[in-house]
Amino acid sequence: MGNIIEYVKMAFKNIKANKGRSFLTMLGIIIGISSVIMVMAVGDGTANAMNSEVEDLGTGQISVYCSDDAINAEAWITPEDVAAIKESITGVEGATPQDGTSGTTITGKGEFSVTLSGGTEDLQKSLNFNMKRGSYFTSVDVEEGNRVCVISNSDAKRLFGSDDVVGMDIEVDINGISGSYRIVGVTEQKENTSFVSYTYEGMPVSIEVPYTSFNYFGWESDSFYSVMVFSNDEASGEDVAQDIIHTLETRHQCAGEEYYQIQSFQDMLAELNSMLAIVTTFISCVAAISLVVGGIGVMNIMLVSVTERTREIGIRKSLGAKTSSILMQFLAEAAILTVLGGIIGIFLGLLGAMGACSLMSASMGSVIHPGIKASTILGATLFSCGIGVFFGIYPARKAAKLSPIEALRRN
Amino acid sequence: MDSLISVRDMCKIYNPGENEVRALDHVDLEIKKGEFVAIIGHSGSGKSTLMNMLGCLDVPTSGAYYLSGRDVSALKDNQLSEIRNQEIGFIFQGFNLIANLTALENVELPLIYRGIGRGQRHKLAKEALIQVGLQKRMEHKPSEMSGGQQQRVAIARAIAAQPPVILADEPTGNLDSASTQEIMEILKGLHEAGHSVILITHDNEIAEQAKRVVRILDGKIVEDYVNT
Ligand SMILES: Nc1ncnc2c1ncn2[C@@H]1O[C@H](COP(=O)(O)OP(=O)(O)O)[C@@H](O)[C@H]1O
Ligand SMILES: [Mg+2]
Repeated sequence: MGNIIEYVKMAFKNIKANKGRSFLTMLGIIIGISSVIMVMAVGDGTANAMNSEVEDLGTGQISVYCSDDAINAEAWITPEDVAAIKESITGVEGATPQDGTSGTTITGKGEFSVTLSGGTEDLQKSLNFNMKRGSYFTSVDVEEGNRVCVISNSDAKRLFGSDDVVGMDIEVDINGISGSYRIVGVTEQKENTSFVSYTYEGMPVSIEVPYTSFNYFGWESDSFYSVMVFSNDEASGEDVAQDIIHTLETRHQCAGEEYYQIQSFQDMLAELNSMLAIVTTFISCVAAISLVVGGIGVMNIMLVSVTERTREIGIRKSLGAKTSSILMQFLAEAAILTVLGGIIGIFLGLLGAMGACSLMSASMGSVIHPGIKASTILGATLFSCGIGVFFGIYPARKAAKLSPIEALRRN
Repeated sequence: MDSLISVRDMCKIYNPGENEVRALDHVDLEIKKGEFVAIIGHSGSGKSTLMNMLGCLDVPTSGAYYLSGRDVSALKDNQLSEIRNQEIGFIFQGFNLIANLTALENVELPLIYRGIGRGQRHKLAKEALIQVGLQKRMEHKPSEMSGGQQQRVAIARAIAAQPPVILADEPTGNLDSASTQEIMEILKGLHEAGHSVILITHDNEIAEQAKRVVRILDGKIVEDYVNT
């Protein structure tokens, strides 16, 4: 075994002497490894980008909603419930009912449908926006049921062609009743939030209003399907959620009925991640198949190469090579080819991942960094090297075990 | 003189059973160190089979074989590899050089398998190539050389490690008469330098150039005489 360097040298010589065949052997491995790495890196990168974005805007945000049983029992959440949650639970910074309706408006730019999200001034805590102009509506507006609204700069531009619209009115028609909303604030989207808010042509204009302003349109806004609660950083989301349920159940005297359910942002995040994991698993399967196909290619070429070289094996054995020496030589060849192919594959895979990520970043307006995991690289490399070495060794072993005479007789 | 090769009652049967071929039929043969023996016979008479046995390339069906006093008829694959490497230099009719290696690299092969380091290996291989007159062809590949030159590379490969026995199976079978004579002169020179040479041929003229002639027919030795 002291001759390992000699075997490695022999192997290099043979690889160089058979460039075409060596290249084909490596190609299978290159394709397999690079596709696995690329797919995994893009998948992980996308997941990371989504997570960090969602985390940015949503931690500490808990959504409470009524179960079907509560709806049947008409145990809706009331404004008093919301106030109680806000007042009595430690760690809660704000709470707002969530009410909404839709209507239409006509401006100089045409007719638009409008989504009105109603809540208290605490609604602003949920936003992933900065105030660009004016200010958010206040508790006074909520108390008095003022028809004031906050709009995003992009929607403002769609309605009026400018975002300098504070003080202007939006005439909204809801179920045949029309009322005007005075714009008090214009918001601006934070950067890097493409996954969360995405606009398209024909999408309704969205405004945020005091929920009490809906009274004007002929119904009383005092029972809600859901309430959004904001906890501060120190509070455990789990504890706050339990306290909210407890408060609601006490107030509605329905302990144990499971009328109220919680969806925290963490839950949504987990859901999002499990969806992503399914997609990644699927794509990984496709990539794994390409790895296997690449491996079969390697196997074929190794088989052909050993068959072609049976005579050479015979010559070497007649000169005193032992079975193990022949095996070492072929092992060295297979190892060099697979390792070289692996390195090229990793390199191309990373390059492809970066290319794909920057393409995706450009088209979505959000930065995605390829998520490169050492375990992926290691796994893919070990797998294809394993295939290369195994299928290089297996036929070589068969040939090396032939008696030199038999090997020499084959041509 | 010391016994080099001692074959007793050796048989080799191919395809035992219905279509069996008795390639060697109770052969006895003694060869001493330093001899130059020609084994002659028609095609199919069993010469190559005998050479394969003598060279430990194959194992006999029955009988005993002592090489330099050692019983080698029952050795394992790896031990046979060692014997071939250390005791025997082969010269084949078809040269059996490795196509993508240079002359020098081909000659180095048995030395690599013997575990000789790079420096000494180069030196021994070069010396062997010079001995067969190929000092100007060391870096050439087999495809860049004539048949006679290729066979000289094969001879250099056989002698580079200084094995006690040189086994040549019809070494001139693929060569023209000029190259044939060149090769014969080299073999005679090796014999004169003290090597034991066993030469297999079907050609009487070539056999006459050896010191001793063993004639084989249908797997049996039918004649064994010394040239005068
Ligand atoms: N591997 C083999 N299988 C079956 N028969 C063989 C084999 N090798 C040689 N023979 C037979 O054995 C006999 C002797 O062959 P061989 O030793 O090659 O003769 P020579 O070298 O004198 O021409 C021939 O009849 C040949 O057909
Ligand atoms: Mg023959």
